[in-house]
Order: sequence, then structure tokens, then C-alpha cells
Amino acid sequence: MDSWNRIDRLIGHIEKVLLSVLLAAMIIVAFLQIVLRNFFYTGLPWGDSFVRYLVLWVGFIGAALATREGGHINIDVLSRWLPGVSKTVNLLVVHLFSCLICAILAYASLAFICNERLLKGTVFFDIPVWLLQLVLPAAFALMTLRYAMYSAGDIAVLIGKAPATNPGRGDT
Amino acid sequence: MSLVLIGLTLLLMLLGAPIFVVIASLAVLLYTASGIDLSAIIIEMHRMATTPILVAIPLFTFAGYCLSESGAPRRLIRLSNALLGWLPGGLAIIALLTCAVFTALTGATGLTIIALGGLLLPAMLKGNYPQPFSLGLLTTSGTLGLLFPPSLPLIIYAIVGGVRIDQLFIAGIVPGMLLVVMLSVYCVCRAIGADVPRQPFQVKEALKAVREGLWELPLPFIVLGGIYSGYFAVSEAAAITAVYVLMVETLINGDIPWRDVPEIMKKSMVLVGTIFIIFGAAMSLTNYLIDEMIPMRLLDFFREHIENRYLFLLVLNLFLLAAGCTMGIFSALVVVVPLLTPMAEAFGIHPIHLGIIFLTNLEIGASLPPLGINLFIASIRFSRPVLQLYAASIPYLLILLLALGLITYFPWFSLLWVQ
Repeated sequence: MDSWNRIDRLIGHIEKVLLSVLLAAMIIVAFLQIVLRNFFYTGLPWGDSFVRYLVLWVGFIGAALATREGGHINIDVLSRWLPGVSKTVNLLVVHLFSCLICAILAYASLAFICNERLLKGTVFFDIPVWLLQLVLPAAFALMTLRYAMYSAGDIAVLIGKAPATNPGRGDT
Repeated sequence: MSLVLIGLTLLLMLLGAPIFVVIASLAVLLYTASGIDLSAIIIEMHRMATTPILVAIPLFTFAGYCLSESGAPRRLIRLSNALLGWLPGGLAIIALLTCAVFTALTGATGLTIIALGGLLLPAMLKGNYPQPFSLGLLTTSGTLGLLFPPSLPLIIYAIVGGVRIDQLFIAGIVPGMLLVVMLSVYCVCRAIGADVPRQPFQVKEALKAVREGLWELPLPFIVLGGIYSGYFAVSEAAAITAVYVLMVETLINGDIPWRDVPEIMKKSMVLVGTIFIIFGAAMSLTNYLIDEMIPMRLLDFFREHIENRYLFLLVLNLFLLAAGCTMGIFSALVVVVPLLTPMAEAFGIHPIHLGIIFLTNLEIGASLPPLGINLFIASIRFSRPVLQLYAASIPYLLILLLALGLITYFPWFSLLWVQ
């Protein structure tokens, strides 16, 4: 559990760095396009699709990181009123369910990538499009892993091996 | 069988499963039941996330986060205080205006109550405004301004509902002002009744406040001016806003040290991620529903039972208020809009007007007991029990509902500047 926390913190840090770099690139390229278009009547031919894929990456890395920071939007009506142990059981059920769905989505995005590879499409700089789409299975796999580890944490609480604090929840 | 599973999924939603998981699980269930390959879900997500206009969302969100982390909220309050503080109920009007502007810029994502509430509540209490009055005002103002561009719900509605974004932007201005003005009138009346002391207008303070906010004042013109002069597209205006705000707050005002920028970037992009993934999941679900002609069937059902257009609008309002209250603004938008747009067309409602009705409902729904998100954010921010906020919000909600009626039944407010 401890080593997982360390690994997860490291992954979280990488995600933060990636988000900053990609967002900075998005801002710079989008701004540069405007300057070029309005003052020099030209533009980067790869610029627009580059920015579009940056949005895809930023969105899905952000979603994966939200899983770590307990930031996914949820409706917390019933669990609010649950007492003691049942609260942990509730969390375990929610985390297992989320883990299952994310695993299905990870599998579905792998299937998606396989199809895209067969199509052999390319985007800017002749990069195969499926390489840029890899962020989808990666993000869902990471979310699956994180929900799995939250579930493991809930079980540890239930069998009394860990104190009842859980980082994987929170509104908004 | 699948009905049981759908019921189970909805139960898990009420137990606190993330909304995107719930929506995606419904999509998985329905796709599997009709034998469609699951990668179709991902195709939809991918298509959604690479829509060209979508780049406006991360850029505006980042700009909004920069503003909320800088001294801009404080400067905005000081400026409006210098200009409007002499009015009876001046501080309350200031609260309304600053919340509205701030929500428009940060995209109605719960930041307003967190960033402004903590500054405005003590100021109002110190100015002798009654406590329930102040609490209710700040709670319901958490989404006020959602109708003003460039708020994220406007952008998302335009994408999902397939209407022109510049038209929707301009359509929201008058209804948005109607909400602010009606609430302001109430505040003035209450302030006169409660005998709140006024402060005299000081030219010197006003000039100082203007000078302090000099760099942030052009923002609305950058956002709107560029778009309506036909000079920039919306996504370009977003890029310019992001660059401008970043430069102003780091280099000119010096409010944000460079080393804090990555943290702000991360926070804002985590928020964008949570919205995108709901958006993506919802797109795959609604695509299935459209393939199965569910909106058409709903339409037939409605046609059979509701003939009157005004009755339809009333039912629409009640339904949307409930959706905004329970599901939250973003999930309600992406799930409900595609279901209802064909219906509105059948009842002869202008698509832009429908958008404004939608967003006004969701805005009010967010403050509506028992589940409106604003109530819970305010409860945490002000450390007050939720029940107290329920009671404090009632007069404001009544006024907002009255305004909603006007906006719904008089399309003129929304369509004044369209075309």
C-alpha cells in the first residue's frame, strides 16, 4: 500500500507536469495562429489539429488526475447520511463499480485504437493518429488502477488494518 | 433484466458514484444490449474531445482560475464599492454584480462562492446587512451570471444544441441583466427597510479603484468586442483572454508568481477533465438514444398529452429545474439538451430562446433545495448548516423564478439582439 502511494504520487506529479506543458503549448500555438493570421496573413498548417489533440490530451489526463484528487463530480445524497461502517461499505461498492466501468472503457479504447491502426490515418507531421489517441486507454487504465487501489484501501479499513480516512471522495 | 441493471446504476449514482461512471455504465449496458461494439462509445468520446470549438473551454477555464487566484476579486469589489457604495443596498448590489461578472469569467463551476463569498460575507455583515439576507444572496449568486458570455455552460449548450455560439452569447445578455436587476431592486427595498447605513460617494476612492483595476477592466471588451466585431472566433477570443490574463496577473499586477502557474494550470485542467469526461460519456449515451429514436418517441408522447405550447413550457421549466437541482449544470446540459431540442422545435420555440430557457433553469436549479450544489458549496464555505441556507435562499429563489417566468414566456428578452 505504501509503495503504491509513492508510485501514485510520482504518476500524479508526471501528470501535473504534462498538463502544464501541454496547456502552455496549447496557449502558445493558439495565440501564435492568431498573430500569424491577422498580421502576416498566414498560419501554421498543422496548428489547428495540433491544438485539437492537445485538448484531447489535457482533458483525459485531467480526468485521470481528478480520480487521484477525488475531484469527480458526483451526487452525494444517500451516502451523506450513512453511519460508521456502512459508509465504508458504500465507498467500497462505489469504488468497485467505478473500477469495473473504467476497466470496460479501457478495454473499449484499446479496441478503438486497434481499429484506428488498421485505418492508417495520419495527422500533422505524418504522425499516425492512433499514437495520439493512446491517451484514451492510458487514462482509463490509470483510472481503473486508482479505483482498484481505493477499493483495496476500503477493504483494509473494513478488516481493521487501516484507520478510516479515505482520499478518494469529495464533492465537486 | 436491463431495467433492473439501469435501476441499480441509478441507485449507485445516489450512493455517490461519479456521474461520468454512471453515464458510461448506462452507455455500456445499452450498447451491449443492442449488440453494438463498445469501441463506438470511445469513438463518440474522441469525436467530442476533438471538436474544434472545444479548445475554448480549457483556455477560458485557465483564465478564470488565474483571475480567482489573483487579486482580481478584491479589486472588483473595491471598484464596484467605490462606484455604487452610495446607493441604498449598495453593497448587496455590488455582491450581485461581482458574482455575476466572476461567474461569467470562471464558467459557473462553483468558484464564485469560494472566491468571492469569503470576502463579501464579512463585508456585508459589517455593513449591518441582516445575516439571513446576506447568506441567501451569496448562495443564490453562485451561478448568477451564467447567462453572460463567455460562461462554459453557454459554450457547451451551443455545441450540444447545435446553435450558433455568437448568437447564444448575445442572447444571454438581456435575460442575465434582468435577473441581476430584479434581485437588485429587492436588495434596495430590503436595505431601506433594514435601515442599512450608506456611505457617501468619494471621487478620490473611485479614481484609485479604477486605476487599480485598469488592466482587468478591458476584459469584457476583449472577450465580446473581438467576437462581435467579427475579428475573432470564439476559440481565438479564448486564447487571447488566456494570454492577456496570464500576462496581467504575473507580469503587470504581480499577483501570481511564475512558480505558482503550474499549480493553477493543474487545478484548472483537472476541472476541465471532470467536465470533458462527463461530456464524452454523455455524448455516447445520447447518440444511442438518438439512434433508437427516443427523442422522437418522447415527442410523440408529449404531443399526445400536451397540446398547448404554454403548458409545454411550464412542464419544461419544472423538469429542467429538477434536472439542474439533482444532476448539476454540466451533466444536465449534455444529457438533456439532445432529448429536448426536437420537442421544442415541434412546439415552435426558437432554438436560441430555448437555450436561454435551459440555462436560466439550470442556473436556478443549482440553488434549489434540497440538492442544489450552491447550497452545499455555501454551507462548506460559510460553515453554516444547509438547512439555514435553504431558508435564507427562499426570497431570492422566488424572485429568480419570477424572472424565469418572464424569460420563458416573453421570447423578446432573449431574441432582442439576435439577427
